[in-house]
Amino acid sequence: MQPINITLDGRKVSGSPGMTVLELAREAGVDIPTLCDDQYLAPIGACRICIVENEQDGVMMASCVMPIAPDMVINTQSQRVLDHRKTIVKLMLSSHPDSCLVCNKGNCCKLRQIASDMGIGLIEYQRISQVSPIEDVNPFIERDLSKCILCAKCIRADQELVVVGAIDYFKRGFDAKPATFGDVPLEQSECTFCGTCVAMCPTGAIMDKGRSYHGTANYEVESTCAYCGCGCSISLGVKGNRVIAVTPGKNGDPNRGTLCVRGICASDVIHSADRLMQPIIRQEEDFTAVSWQDALAAAAEGLKQVKEKHGTDALAVISSSKCTNEENYLLQRFARGVLGTNNIDSSARLVNAVNRTALASTVGIAGANNDLGGLAQSDVIVVIGADPDASAPIVAYAIKRAVKYNGAKLILIDPRETGLSAFADIHIRPYHGTDSVLLGAMAKVIVDDGLVDGRSVSKKTNNYDALKASLGKYTPDSAATEAARMYAKATRGSVVWGTGLTQSAGGVDSVRSLINLAILTGQTSGLYALEKECNDRGAFGKSWEADVSSKQGLSALEVIGQIEKGSIKGLMVVGENPVLAFPDSNRVKKALLSLDFLVVQDMFLSETGQMADIVLASSSFAEKEGAYTNFEGRIGTLNAAIDPIGGSLPDWQIILKLAEAIGSPMPFDSLRQVSDEIKALAPTPKRPTKFDFYPITSITSPDDTSKEYPYKLLMLSDLYTLGNGAEIAYSYRLQKHASEAFIEIAGDDAEKLGASGGEQLNVTSPVGELVATVKVSNSVPSGTVYMPMALPSGSANILLDITLDEETKTPRVKTCNVSLKKVAVNG
Amino acid sequence: MVKVPEVDIDQIKKIIDEDKDSRWPVTPLVERIQEEVGYIPPQCIPLIANAVGLFPSQVQAVISLHDQLYTEPRGKNVVRVCRGTACHVRGGKAILKAAKNRLGLEVGETSEDLEYTMETVSCMGLCALAPNMTVGQKIYGNMTLLKVDKVFRKNEGET
Repeated sequence: MQPINITLDGRKVSGSPGMTVLELAREAGVDIPTLCDDQYLAPIGACRICIVENEQDGVMMASCVMPIAPDMVINTQSQRVLDHRKTIVKLMLSSHPDSCLVCNKGNCCKLRQIASDMGIGLIEYQRISQVSPIEDVNPFIERDLSKCILCAKCIRADQELVVVGAIDYFKRGFDAKPATFGDVPLEQSECTFCGTCVAMCPTGAIMDKGRSYHGTANYEVESTCAYCGCGCSISLGVKGNRVIAVTPGKNGDPNRGTLCVRGICASDVIHSADRLMQPIIRQEEDFTAVSWQDALAAAAEGLKQVKEKHGTDALAVISSSKCTNEENYLLQRFARGVLGTNNIDSSARLVNAVNRTALASTVGIAGANNDLGGLAQSDVIVVIGADPDASAPIVAYAIKRAVKYNGAKLILIDPRETGLSAFADIHIRPYHGTDSVLLGAMAKVIVDDGLVDGRSVSKKTNNYDALKASLGKYTPDSAATEAARMYAKATRGSVVWGTGLTQSAGGVDSVRSLINLAILTGQTSGLYALEKECNDRGAFGKSWEADVSSKQGLSALEVIGQIEKGSIKGLMVVGENPVLAFPDSNRVKKALLSLDFLVVQDMFLSETGQMADIVLASSSFAEKEGAYTNFEGRIGTLNAAIDPIGGSLPDWQIILKLAEAIGSPMPFDSLRQVSDEIKALAPTPKRPTKFDFYPITSITSPDDTSKEYPYKLLMLSDLYTLGNGAEIAYSYRLQKHASEAFIEIAGDDAEKLGASGGEQLNVTSPVGELVATVKVSNSVPSGTVYMPMALPSGSANILLDITLDEETKTPRVKTCNVSLKKVAVNG
Repeated sequence: MVKVPEVDIDQIKKIIDEDKDSRWPVTPLVERIQEEVGYIPPQCIPLIANAVGLFPSQVQAVISLHDQLYTEPRGKNVVRVCRGTACHVRGGKAILKAAKNRLGLEVGETSEDLEYTMETVSCMGLCALAPNMTVGQKIYGNMTLLKVDKVFRKNEGET
């Protein structure tokens, strides 16, 4: 295409067709002020600050929406332009309150900045204030629309980026404002409090709601969110030694300007009043704070004693997906080299092992093999066993964007209605546990209809005949047929799956059936395995692959079993809370109590810590360096934003110091050396030349409910309480927002039980029981009930039992059978 | 307080089904609903949004942009008294007062039985007949205080 030449402020510049004047000006280094422009949003020319003048006809226009045309003569700084800009800013200020001194955004307000750049002080215009009550009932976002300049950034962020559609313009003229449907407060609307609009709002109209006025951050540190497997880039706004605001990272990927409610609440957890400030040691019933020297000596002594009395194999280490790649690597070297045991595992196994096994046995990869950009460009997306709205918000944003703005087709396979249902072209609601049958049936349709990608199947795959033979037993119904055809005909098909698939019985086979479909149709570059906790992929991946010893140690859940049998006597837990995170809380507690020695590294005195002999106070992600690997395989770097709080230390330093105290120091002085060693040891992933079909031979009946326990309970992903509950327990804002423990139940089941919404139900499983409030829901199938894993107090894991899958050593942390009974109300 | 009448959702669904595939469907759709139902019941906004692939907040934005699209129940007869200059000098103010008294309604209010909604307009372009008043689609020119009562009596007799 021909470049277009224009004159900009007297200079000849050229740009490509389709560029706007603003884009070209920026490229040419000419500064034009903007308020409503954002790199992630489509320009709309709402604020008019970016006006420029075309010298040829004297027309003033908003440069952000004006495409360049040949031989334009543009002035961006003429007196006329500057006068107009001043007028526009003054008009905005004339209806803007003078509360800058007490506004949290005061010193980073773009309106104020532009006004001061232009030398605008007092306004000579008549003030017409837009009176609006401050909306601050919800704990996350404070809206003061008297400061709104109607730039529509919040509206566009909501509709274009996170695709929730909670707000749009309402009314017009002086009454115009961004409003929810029905003009209700945010907490009653669709709003998910993702905070994307907070970061984008150029004034103080939308603000992060802190406990009190906290002013503007002195500086920002780029880091990586430590909550879920998305690994969003975040900016930590620091003032003093305090993280006062969390905003989407400047680096962009993977979240590109968006975030979610859990991300913006990270600062609560960092500065929770419950943080451990010092290591503590058990003295009879109570804990006493001690110095690091004493604590490390005691921990070393404890581990040594177990070693001397029972041998090295009586020791075990459990690490966590909350630890960085470097820390996980250090820990496994610590376990094998310093303690001399191979019993080292990570809680990430609960999430990641199934994916790793299934993917390795078929396409030879370790996790998702494409990034979110690829997902957004897909034309057919299959989502199965995942509710990304809750478990991986930025994945949900990408899927919704693809469907709403790129015309992608969405096939949703989930027994429950989720936030994606409204976007789905086909929603198949299989009975829980029959995913692999459904996927097998879809494969049969693809083979029978001749939709197989013949060339790649014959050249690049093994086992096709075996697969074909195994498909005979399926009888596809119309929905499966339609879905299979839609997926097979895609030019760029993607599959997204989550813990609904992997953490259920037969999870490995379900994932393999899904991958069979992808190989059959040649769509192998769109496999998206979602993870749950922040470093599931990294904690179980890279650092583990760099194997120091070949002898197979015990897996995380086997450790619990071996403690019960008495062969494990000493345990070190780093950053994990097995009492809440592992199935069967009561059994885990009992096992941990029977240990000779338990040392825990944690930011808080967790349920597991309370049973420990020593708890070593570790630092949060904001106080240390390192790296997380997100579900895409992207490495997200952590940068220390603040000094460790109190006397806490980053986990990696504690591990090094503990090794020293034991008397066999590890050869590292800095984290850099650790990451260098990982790089040197980790095998470079080989791209397999051939893919393997994995025929599924047996179909197990998924309905194992009994008369005694007639309901199938599924663990629901919940946006505000995802994970094992650590975040919710220590974030005052999430805590404030969380509802009580609820159980979602279908209307006819509720009728059968004689329970209505708001009443209490006793939920009993073979191993435990709890009480939850009924939420009657049309979105769940009858016979199945849902509840979130992390409850405001405690965890629903007390209902689950530890039955391990032979192949992956993972428990089913998604389901169990329960009986329900109404709690009798007295009086 | 106006009692919100029961809304015939099936009737609205039928309208949506018939009109949703036109090119810019929102405005004509809500106009037709208002014509047939009398106003746009807020509970039908999510249905419209769903049918045309928008968010409810976006449909609400379109409705709120137009002053003459209503999301609250309106009377069967909308009474509009002209407050334009010509009508004013010929006693429009008194006509408005008389109409308000007769119906017991302030401007913008709707009677409990959903019979009348009271409004004013700035000009109807019928200045030669000033002062003017309309009830529903009917225009009454050369209004006098006596005629106000007559108009309403006639209207009530007919309905």
